[in-house]
Amino acid sequence: MKNRLKALRADRDWTQAELADRLHVTRQTINAIEKGKYDPSLPLAFKIAALFGLPIEEIFSPDTD
Amino acid sequence: MTDTRTETSLQAGLKKSTFQLFLATGAWVGSTALMSFGPSAIWGFDVAVTFLAIAVNLIVGSFMLYSFFKHLKNMDELQRQTHLEAMALTLGITMVLTVIYGALPQAKVLASTQPANVLFVIGISYILSVITLWLWRTSE
Repeated sequence: MKNRLKALRADRDWTQAELADRLHVTRQTINAIEKGKYDPSLPLAFKIAALFGLPIEEIFSPDTD
Repeated sequence: MTDTRTETSLQAGLKKSTFQLFLATGAWVGSTALMSFGPSAIWGFDVAVTFLAIAVNLIVGSFMLYSFFKHLKNMDELQRQTHLEAMALTLGITMVLTVIYGALPQAKVLASTQPANVLFVIGISYILSVITLWLWRTSE
């Protein structure tokens, strides 16, 4: 699954640690999501969407080969 | 301010459950040693006391299991996913190696097998799986 998390975070000038604090996860989780090595759970995806004030599909999109 | 408290509570919860798991595991190891060596070294093979030691071991073992589940729940979701995948890998590795190990006496490669050796396979597989999966997911 692809995501725009890194770009959205950069827009707000947040570090990975700051975003992790806001989402109640570890910085490693944010790093793994941004690098596409980990797909967040649905509850976390909703929290991310709520934090950025965007629908989930504007942040996450399926891989298309 | 609020965010700092949130991160602290995540880390504090994990530290607390790690310490509880450490204590529970230590108590289980102690009660297992008592159950194993107590009959010959302490109470002279009294069956009633041995059953009591087994009951204590079961209770402490259940507490250790509860502590482990609590520890898993306190983890951040990436940590939890890593541990669950490591458990799946450990199950598969242990199954394959145990079947091979069990076949060695029949093949006259070993005189006998020790069931306790499976515990080493479980422990080593689990630790290596957690480390490998974590490093793979969190590498910068």
